[in-house]
Amino acid sequence: MCLTLQHGGPDDEGIFSDDRAGLVFGHRRLAIIDLSAKGHQPMADVNQKAWITFNGEIYNYAELKQQLLLLGAKFYSDTDTEVIIQAYLHWGMASFSKFRGIFAFALYDIEKALTYLVRDSSGVKPLYYHIDDGQLSFASEVKALKSAGIAVEPDSNWRVRFLAYGHIPEPYTTQKNVFSLPKGEFLCWNHKKQNCEIHSYHVITREKKITDTAEAREAVRSALTCAVKRQLIADAPIGVFLSGGIDSSLITLLANQHKRAQLKTISIFFNEKAYDERAFQNMILKEIEGEKYAHLVRQDDFNEFLPQIITDMDMPTTDGINTWFISKYAHEDGLKAVLSGIGADELFGGYPSFRRMKMLKKMHKIRPITFRIAKYFASDRFKKISFLAYNHPTADYLLLRGHYTPADIAGILDTDLRNVENILFNNKQLPYISNYDEADAAWFETNMYMQNQLLRDTDVMGMSHALEVRVPFLDEDFKRLAENIALEVRFNAHQPKKLLIDSFADILPRAIWDRSKMGFTFPLQQWMREHPDINNETLYKGKRAQSIVKDFKQNTMHWSKIFALYQIRMHE
Amino acid sequence: MSKKIILLTLQTFSTTGGIQKMTRTLAHSLNHITEQNHWDFKLWSLYDSRYDLMGQYLAAENFAGFGRSKARMGLKTLTQATKADIVIISHINLALIGLVIKILNPKCRLWLVAHGIEVWRQLSFVKRTFLKRYCDKVICVSGFTKTQMSNWHQLSDDKCVVLNNAIDPFIRQPDEFEKPEYLMNRYSLRSGDKVIFTLTRLASSEQYKGYEQVIKAVGSLKPGFPGLKYILSGQYDAAEEMRIKDLIRACDVEDEVILTGFLNENELVDHFLLADLFVLPSKKEGFGIVFIEALACGLPVICGNADGSVDAIRNGELGIAINVDNLAELEKTIIAYLTTPLTVAARESLQSRCLSYFNELDYRKNLLRLINDKLTA
Repeated sequence: MCLTLQHGGPDDEGIFSDDRAGLVFGHRRLAIIDLSAKGHQPMADVNQKAWITFNGEIYNYAELKQQLLLLGAKFYSDTDTEVIIQAYLHWGMASFSKFRGIFAFALYDIEKALTYLVRDSSGVKPLYYHIDDGQLSFASEVKALKSAGIAVEPDSNWRVRFLAYGHIPEPYTTQKNVFSLPKGEFLCWNHKKQNCEIHSYHVITREKKITDTAEAREAVRSALTCAVKRQLIADAPIGVFLSGGIDSSLITLLANQHKRAQLKTISIFFNEKAYDERAFQNMILKEIEGEKYAHLVRQDDFNEFLPQIITDMDMPTTDGINTWFISKYAHEDGLKAVLSGIGADELFGGYPSFRRMKMLKKMHKIRPITFRIAKYFASDRFKKISFLAYNHPTADYLLLRGHYTPADIAGILDTDLRNVENILFNNKQLPYISNYDEADAAWFETNMYMQNQLLRDTDVMGMSHALEVRVPFLDEDFKRLAENIALEVRFNAHQPKKLLIDSFADILPRAIWDRSKMGFTFPLQQWMREHPDINNETLYKGKRAQSIVKDFKQNTMHWSKIFALYQIRMHE
Repeated sequence: MSKKIILLTLQTFSTTGGIQKMTRTLAHSLNHITEQNHWDFKLWSLYDSRYDLMGQYLAAENFAGFGRSKARMGLKTLTQATKADIVIISHINLALIGLVIKILNPKCRLWLVAHGIEVWRQLSFVKRTFLKRYCDKVICVSGFTKTQMSNWHQLSDDKCVVLNNAIDPFIRQPDEFEKPEYLMNRYSLRSGDKVIFTLTRLASSEQYKGYEQVIKAVGSLKPGFPGLKYILSGQYDAAEEMRIKDLIRACDVEDEVILTGFLNENELVDHFLLADLFVLPSKKEGFGIVFIEALACGLPVICGNADGSVDAIRNGELGIAINVDNLAELEKTIIAYLTTPLTVAARESLQSRCLSYFNELDYRKNLLRLINDKLTA
């Protein structure tokens, strides 16, 4: 398993085993804090009461260490890893909610014969587990469980989910009985009883809603500045991904205030003029002091690296190609960690879904059965209206963000429509959506699209190049603050992310925010149309798939849908 | 001889309240009885969709969710329910469907489940007609509801039968009463804190659950109980949230009262274990299934004395019923419990007595008796 995950941890390797408990921890290290051998993992405390294998970063480890020293804790390294162990030994399970960072760890308490699997509250770091026959196995990537022969049987439903979502939504994976641990939760495995419990470690706090715009702006400004500063902590080189959009520009400008000449920026540009963001990137780059790396990505690069990208994605996904390339260049430029602008669109209403929710609410007043007819529409765009017939929160999400409709999926996979519907809508984990307001849109975008697509893809693509991607907008304190701002102050119907922009009006150039949204977008429509295999319909099985490829060649189909089909084909 | 039984409900799986929980157990019991006897059973639910089914209660082939489509439910009723031997209507709002079934199939035995406030009131003409002329049996979830049926609708004694609710067969029954550490952390509780717990729907349209009284009582009691906490759980609407928070501020109990919002069912038992006392001084519980769930975890309960709750506490054997308008009485009863907490042995005894009265096995036997009575009548 360690060998399979070598790409994410090239600096060191370690194994710990305890025969009494029948337990083995493995670890591959990407050294970012305390680069010495003292950071070797799996790690134990000085008295060897607990062992840990840890992936990620605890940004507030220095503050926690001070508190623990006052309580009499003894440390032998300068790592955040050792702080986790001591925090657990002093505060028990209550320690989990004290960590500010991106993390997934397993901690074995020898005396109590318990192993905890714990995942950060924003779900940035992945943690997959498999339970079978009284045995718990876990890993940061699904392929580690596969290659070890632990979870070799595929989940028969993954293709349906993948074609609907464009990724495999949590908690599911491509493998049977392998699940993703939900964010902000811990799994406690009892070695004596050989069973487990899973609970949230979130602490309920009472905070007053912020209803005043000026107060909200000040709070946003202060909390984001603090989050960026906190996340720049590293003993290894750190940088920023700069796309030229609002979010990455803001993170770059704030990081520059702290790191100055030491801050490296990584950006990407294309020969395709419509996708070239250099003018906007340069607007920010001229404001900052450190080294600036700009890389050209061409069609040939895409063609050359696509097989590697597909191998690195761990599970099929229709996104992440952009992160794969920029992570590759960041790694080649000597970086071990970068900051990214993910999370702002979800928190402050940057996506069209925030405006589409009202329409969705109106449409739900019409009898659901009416929308069944939409599945017969020829236009791909209008076909998705058939999701309204299901009157189900998953269907609402898929209407906003989904790829193929159930009828299309049944056609592509040559299966029964009812079977597809059962797989997609038997999901009892979604809350009941009733208000169809900005808060509901933020829920969908944060917990579904960002969680399952953006964060998963970013982490797995970053780690494939031994690069840790940090996300200041998802800092626990910043996120909690944003969610505590009254909806009418937090969102603006006419201008996306207005509160965020206004909070930093003095440093963010107008030209960066006063333009149409571009996102971190590659010219993939063109590249995939010119790819020798992707648009070759003879390589696809079934009439439905072949007709979709024809549509794509006529440019009436989005590249992400054909890319999904292409990956399905590769797994046949 | 093969029999066909249909249970018609408004909502069983897509939301969770007392009526929904009762219906799940009823469906599970009927499913079991009909399997044993090689009869046929179907659960039809108007507002659930077919994806909402919780498979542990019954198999998918025995369930139909109509996803709010009255037309589909009506059509299915016309084609299939008219062939049933027994149709059980789980809510009076389905009276019209019951009426149609009986007109088309007079031989069908038609039962109504009477829960609480939905029938303790003046009813529309259709519902009255259904009750008096077409309904063969009214299953009352408590003796109180039976009395109310007689008072409000002058139903004869032999038409109404009391069948107390049972504990959900899938609820975990704890064998230890330790307070779960993860919940202590979640609510920042210290060992030694005394926890009062209420679980109910907090709706601005329903002003009878009595948690306001508990908030006021906590305000009075906090000087004498420095570690007193009140965990008030259940989904709330915006208007009720504002009203409760205003009351919490007015009573100066912002540090004592913890509003959790919706409680995930898989954490329900752990909340009963976390608490020292369950209090729901409601005025209009048909039965109060939450009381027997709390008791089944060995948690003492305080309820109101003017509704169906008294059945759940077996007229005082398992808990204490109070006059909910008398704040002093509520405070006095809370003090008594908090100053003399139950021993582990007493909690075990409470748990086993509750289970002996409200277990599904006995519920099933009573249900079968009712079915057989009717089938042979």
